[in-house]
Amino acid sequence: MISLASYLVISLILFVAGITVMVARKNLVAILLGVELVLNAAALNFVAYSRYLANNLDGHIFSLFIIVIAASEAAVGLAIVIRFFQIKDTIHVDEATQLRN
Amino acid sequence: MEYSVGSIAPIFLAPVLAFVINAFFGRRLPRNGDWVAVLGVFISFIFSARIFGDFVFGKFATDYYIHKTFTWLDLSYMDQVWKFDLGIYIDNMAAIMLLMVSGVATLIHLFSTWYMDHDPRHGRFFTFLPLFTSAMLGLVLSDNLLALFMFWEVMGFCSYSLIGIYYEKEEAGDASIKAFMTTRVGDVFLLLGIVAIYMVIGSVTYTDIYAAIAEGKFAGQSVLGIGLATFTGFCLFLGAMGKSAQFPLHVWLPDAMMGPTPGSALIHAATMVAAGVYLSLRMYPLMVAGDLTAFIAIIGAITAFGAATIALVQTDIKAVLAFSTISQLGYMMIGVGVGSYNAAFMHLITHAVFKACLFLSAGSVIHSIHEQQMPKMGGLRKKLPYTFIAMFCCSLAIAGVPFFSGFVSKDRILGDALYWGFMAGQNPMLAIVPILGFAGAFLTAFYMFRMIFLTFFGTPRDQHIYDHAHQEHLSFTSNVPLLILTVFTLGFWYAGSLTGQGIVNVMGAKTEWFKILVEAPQVEKFVGSEAKKTPFIEPTTYTETLPVAVLDGQTGYAGPNPDEHKIHSAHVIGAVASIIIALTGIFLAFLMYVKGAIKPLAPKFPGYVRTLQNRYYFDKVYQDIVIKKGLLGLNRLLAWFDMGIYDRFAVDGWAKVNRVLFRIAKWFDNVVIDAVGVDGAGVAVNLFNLVLRIVQSGKIQFYFIMLIVVLCSYIWTLNF
Repeated sequence: MISLASYLVISLILFVAGITVMVARKNLVAILLGVELVLNAAALNFVAYSRYLANNLDGHIFSLFIIVIAASEAAVGLAIVIRFFQIKDTIHVDEATQLRN
Repeated sequence: MEYSVGSIAPIFLAPVLAFVINAFFGRRLPRNGDWVAVLGVFISFIFSARIFGDFVFGKFATDYYIHKTFTWLDLSYMDQVWKFDLGIYIDNMAAIMLLMVSGVATLIHLFSTWYMDHDPRHGRFFTFLPLFTSAMLGLVLSDNLLALFMFWEVMGFCSYSLIGIYYEKEEAGDASIKAFMTTRVGDVFLLLGIVAIYMVIGSVTYTDIYAAIAEGKFAGQSVLGIGLATFTGFCLFLGAMGKSAQFPLHVWLPDAMMGPTPGSALIHAATMVAAGVYLSLRMYPLMVAGDLTAFIAIIGAITAFGAATIALVQTDIKAVLAFSTISQLGYMMIGVGVGSYNAAFMHLITHAVFKACLFLSAGSVIHSIHEQQMPKMGGLRKKLPYTFIAMFCCSLAIAGVPFFSGFVSKDRILGDALYWGFMAGQNPMLAIVPILGFAGAFLTAFYMFRMIFLTFFGTPRDQHIYDHAHQEHLSFTSNVPLLILTVFTLGFWYAGSLTGQGIVNVMGAKTEWFKILVEAPQVEKFVGSEAKKTPFIEPTTYTETLPVAVLDGQTGYAGPNPDEHKIHSAHVIGAVASIIIALTGIFLAFLMYVKGAIKPLAPKFPGYVRTLQNRYYFDKVYQDIVIKKGLLGLNRLLAWFDMGIYDRFAVDGWAKVNRVLFRIAKWFDNVVIDAVGVDGAGVAVNLFNLVLRIVQSGKIQFYFIMLIVVLCSYIWTLNF
């Protein structure tokens, strides 16, 4: 039997990896990927807690929501990235400084 | 029928409007807007004529008057009432006066459009002329002494401006200042009198003053040890003396000829000098209550005679007229003094008409030959026929020849003076008044015809001037006004009969409208006259009543008088004497200046003539003694006080105190406000910015790190 702790450890690894990608990478697409990892870590947590502690389907429903939200977030995020690329000719995140000053 | 404000106010407002238009837009209008002035005054003439017609041709009882008031100043607080009302007061006298002022002023304006044509000060002249007229009309309309005083001062200012209109000439500037300052001496007393009246009865409205006299409020009170009625009456009369050029304040009037001749005509005839006599007549009950009548009569007699003697030796045509004005004003004051109220007023009216005409004629002469000195004239009769007719008729009028207006009015005054001086049981010394009056009348006839003969008769003494004189043609602006005025120098307009006062009395006084309509205010009638006041905006209604006095055939002016017979005989003697005197004077002038049968007497009395030519040294005395010895020292003292004490200690001292205060304020400003307040705020904001600039880097990944750090520290905090 796989224990709850195993799920949580994987979830934690995913979460930390996502955060690390978000902070460390300068590529916008990579940052979006990091966001996906964080969301998936959260979804895994929901499903794991739902199965081991509550023993009902609430967590599953939430994870489905998260998947939908992640999909739409990716669509919007990629659209922004494409627009950004058209304007700046790069997807380097440090170039996104137009709101300053 | 009713009188609304709309039928009275235009009398005053139309010339004011003309003044405003000419003052602001005169230069942009064609002909500098002189037609605006003529039109404005003519409108007021039309409205005056309506009021005159209503009052004179028997619509009202003789003592009817209109009294409208509005609150001008209201300082009432809670239950303490303090209000000041201004208003309109029109009785028969005011109605006649309004017609005279506006009518004469219209003709003077019309004449001025010709006389002042191509003059550099044309526009300026036609700005002040309607203002002058409106001030006089306002003075006549006003129902109280304060409004009278205001218009009085406006007239003083206008005369100042008109006399000094050619201000680049030094004499003109001096003359205007002299006129202003001399009348100011009287004005100060006038204001003092008004204040004194206000202090006693709490109002300066004519009707209230009359009522107060009737109720005896003036009796038993005194100011500075003088009876109150005497004090206030004296103060008001001093004001009238200044304005009406009575001895010893007459010195400004001869110099007032520095202005253009039509301006002099307005000053000498209809407005300025008439105001003083009008005030004396309005306040006649006060003069009687204050026992001032003898004083007024003596002042008038001295003025009438003295000015006539000075006029004998003047060579300037306008100077002769100026002194004759002073002399005639003296007659009016005699009339006030001896109690011939309506004759004094009548002389005011007749004099205004013939003196306006004389001045305009003089203006016509001066304009055509560009010369004022009579010794250089002569024989102008042929060149200026219409002017000659006008001036001749007016001279007959002023000399007091029967059938002319001067005879009607002046001889009624002289007749009353004769009765008053000899027969009324007065102090015998007062007989000096009629004696001086008759002597002055003789001199008047003489000097007026000296002027006529020197100007129009004989052979031209200066052929060059004569040849260059323009031949006069009948023209609407130049001599028609003269001829219109000439028509009104005939006596029957005033007497209601062609023959004049002395003989009219024999035929019954019924037809003499002046006697019926103008009478000294019966003060008893004004007790409780509050009810007759109407609010300004509400029309005054009246029912048409024929004057009872006329229907009954009573004269309505004197009532039964036990001395009627004596008065009557005095009048007959006076009339006969003055006819003889006038004709003698004219004949003497004729012999001297036309026939040359009598040599002029001047060389025989060189000392006296020099005195006369120097006008009894009044100017010199005022200049050398009053001003240089008295006023100059006082002025120096005041100047020293002003500069040495007031300026040095009060003004400069205050400046020093302020400088210290400002130094403290400056320190406070620099240190506390600037350094700590303003700069401190800037430094604080700068420091805050330093921190904020680090945090707000604009790099999204930095924000992530911040987010995680904050989140972690939050969780960490929760765990402990």
